[in-house]
Amino acid sequence: MSEIRTLIVDDSSVMRKIVERALRQAGLDPMIVHEAGSGTEGLDLLKAKQVDLILSDINMPSMDGLEFLRQIKLQNLAPGVPVVMITTESSEEHVKQAIQAGAQGYIRKPFTAEQVKERVLPLVHAA
Amino acid sequence: MAVSLRESVQQVSDPRNLDASVEEVFHMMLGVNCERATAVGPQVPESVTAVVGFGGLLSGACVFRSGGPAAMKIAACMTGMEFAEIDDTVKDGIGEICNMLAGAWKGKVPELAANCGLSVPAVITGRDYNLHVQAPEFQLHHIYAFDGETFEVTIVCDGLQ
Repeated sequence: MSEIRTLIVDDSSVMRKIVERALRQAGLDPMIVHEAGSGTEGLDLLKAKQVDLILSDINMPSMDGLEFLRQIKLQNLAPGVPVVMITTESSEEHVKQAIQAGAQGYIRKPFTAEQVKERVLPLVHAA
Repeated sequence: MAVSLRESVQQVSDPRNLDASVEEVFHMMLGVNCERATAVGPQVPESVTAVVGFGGLLSGACVFRSGGPAAMKIAACMTGMEFAEIDDTVKDGIGEICNMLAGAWKGKVPELAANCGLSVPAVITGRDYNLHVQAPEFQLHHIYAFDGETFEVTIVCDGLQ
């Protein structure tokens, strides 16, 4: 498998590392990881780098994950790139909002590496 | 019809929801098991407190508190790194634990999951401080033990619609 260029957006640096580790355990290795601490930083990164996969938290200061998703679509920054939301919010309403904003997958925190594998790998292979 | 939590207050304040949330978060994110304890461990010079606010149908907060050594051990389990002091990574990790506990706890009651938002975590470190809430609607305060350390989780509800 060629290197998967992944953007992880989360205001917690610890959570970004945990997500990266889970992705590698899921088999996404080799992988190039770009990290952003907010939606705004994520958009700036997408303007400068090409990625194959985006994982984003929802509840973040300055620009939350849903607005980040809307801006990706509005600015056509990552056409065809799968986006998976990773968040503590678990209601059907939150999932619906994320899907409407353009997410292809949704993982609730806390999560296991197995859940990451089940929900992310098919999207990467299909892209 | 307007959603209300008044009729499901017993379900919302069920202490088993908090135990299940703590067990879930620690097992899935740290790979450790926790059990309820009756007392906190010996006093340590510095403690770490993380607060995540609830807003919406329920207002209040989820508060995580532990001594420095327990906080460093939790951060070590999360990151695979070793810590000798309560640095920004430890504070960040404890904030995330509190965030996941708050999310898991509210997720146990469907009306709460859908109609209650979470704030971003705030983390406080220091010594000799207490959390005081005036006349809460209800409050859950549990002590847990894992791997020789203890920590406290408090759910404070100061308003319920």
